[in-house]
Amino acid sequence: MKNSRLVTTTRWLALPCLVAAGLLAWYVTREVTSPFEQETPSPDQALIARGEYVARLSDCVACHSLPGKAPFAGGLEMATPLGAIHATNITPDRKNGIGSYSLADFDRAVRHGVAPGGRRLYPAMPYPSYAKLSDDDMRALYAFFMKGVQPSDQANIPSDIPWPLNLRWPIALWNGLFAADKPYAEKPTEDPLWNRGAYIVQGPGHCGSCHTPRGLAFNEKALDDSGEAFLAGALLDGWYAPSLRQDHNTGLGRWSEPEIVQFLKTGRNKHAVVYGSMTEAFNNSTQFMSDDDLGAIARYLKSLPGDPQRDGAPWQYQAMSAATRLDAPGAHSYVTRCASCHGLDGQGQAEWIPPLAGATSMLAKENASAINITLNGSQRVVAAGVPDAYRMPALREQMSDQEIAEVLSFVRTTWGNTGGAVDAKAVAKLREHTDPASSSPIVLHMR
Amino acid sequence: MHCPAYNDETPTDDQRVNAMELRINQKTYQVDADADTPLLWVIRDDLGMTGTKYGCGLAQCGACSVLVDGNVVRACVTPVAGVVGREVTTIEAIEADPVGKRVVAAWVEHQVAQCGYCQSGQVMAATALLKHTPAPSDEQISAAMVNLCRCGTYNAIHAAVHELAAQPAAKESV
Repeated sequence: MKNSRLVTTTRWLALPCLVAAGLLAWYVTREVTSPFEQETPSPDQALIARGEYVARLSDCVACHSLPGKAPFAGGLEMATPLGAIHATNITPDRKNGIGSYSLADFDRAVRHGVAPGGRRLYPAMPYPSYAKLSDDDMRALYAFFMKGVQPSDQANIPSDIPWPLNLRWPIALWNGLFAADKPYAEKPTEDPLWNRGAYIVQGPGHCGSCHTPRGLAFNEKALDDSGEAFLAGALLDGWYAPSLRQDHNTGLGRWSEPEIVQFLKTGRNKHAVVYGSMTEAFNNSTQFMSDDDLGAIARYLKSLPGDPQRDGAPWQYQAMSAATRLDAPGAHSYVTRCASCHGLDGQGQAEWIPPLAGATSMLAKENASAINITLNGSQRVVAAGVPDAYRMPALREQMSDQEIAEVLSFVRTTWGNTGGAVDAKAVAKLREHTDPASSSPIVLHMR
Repeated sequence: MHCPAYNDETPTDDQRVNAMELRINQKTYQVDADADTPLLWVIRDDLGMTGTKYGCGLAQCGACSVLVDGNVVRACVTPVAGVVGREVTTIEAIEADPVGKRVVAAWVEHQVAQCGYCQSGQVMAATALLKHTPAPSDEQISAAMVNLCRCGTYNAIHAAVHELAAQPAAKESV
């Protein structure tokens, strides 16, 4: 009696369970639809050139190429919390590249993170942002990768994420929750310049991949300006990517539109010089954008309101020569190691050497960028083919954790800076993580 | 890091060169240089004053020290556009300055130099210190005299600077 009731109940439950499982299996393995299903591409030179420009906007090369290797042949290692994965070969090689992809296959991979056969890509590929690319730009990008890139048969490196963590289907559920699924739609209330800026920033430029804080599922907390977290600043890969909103201290509140354009075009302005992960974004991507597009980005970013609650009281410069405060911890190091370039007054040298007074990295509570650049220096900034004359040297061999903590504490509490003191333990931790010889180095580049 | 040349970009350097006027050692020079050219390159390569030395190029060693408006700067990290309208002094003219003259005399008296490569920078650092602070404290000396010397002449430098610091007035009147 009891048994038969159990059997009946099980029968009643089995049906919905099977249906649910079936639906789930269909959902997580389905090939999403593409508007290009029936389309036969007819690329011409103009379209290929346009595609190359879209590839610059999207900075594909940053992950899909290694220095000294064939462009777009893949290979960049990214250590995720689950294990290392490697960017793939996206040259038109038919065996190891994407030479056999149709336009619809290409679209599914780039805008939806789905490879042919329904396998889900890891969201290290910024398809949650690329989803906003327009159909026209997708056609152009496809034309460039098929006709404008030399095929390379460089083999892909399999990921070393162990089973069952390497199962890809749960990513489909993640996508349903966290990825955009439609191309950018223009806001009729805004002008064309703003809309173009919004398109580049949210879509191909995928600025949010670094600058938007992430949630528990490693999802960007907002993918467009409807969310206050969008581009509000985030800690990633041992750097703090600052706010790109109108925050006076930690964002772009003090930058004019021409200054934003100058920064993205030349890598520097009177407020800052590109460093950290942004160096690569500048070297490979932003400097190649047209002046009109940079102007559009500036217009859009200047429209994102700041948050005085998060940002604190507006920074004001307080004049002081570090040489007059030699008694303060860290001041001696500053005078002897930093002041030659950044000035005893902390004001830097015009747009060539950035000021530390009022610098975002010295005002933000997050101190990763300040520590990281002091330990490891800056990378080569190459503007219009010319390497920069001035570079931050790596001080990891010259200064102890305590000395770096003291000098950064000095800088972050002087000239009106409000970042606050730095603990030697934080320096030690980042020193370990950014040492290529350490057992757990930071090599993740979630661009 | 990655800069693959899948579309070779050529430098547009025709717009980068600027004509500018520099004041160095009480003389005026016409210079054509990019605004961000290090002052050191202009002094040595364009104007042929080779007393100022190139050491590290990263503001770490001080071999390239010169005076700008009486303050010591490291010429390898000083964009030339930043010194237009200011007075630059190099080792070639340091003895025209009364303090500089005393420093050089003390350097000779203590036979500071060994190979000598860093010494023009050392003299500039000492001169700038004593111009601002005729009788510096030990701490002020240690904060100012930080240029590197691979021969290890630090003891001799230390002796010369401390002697100058101890007798500011006596030598000043000479």
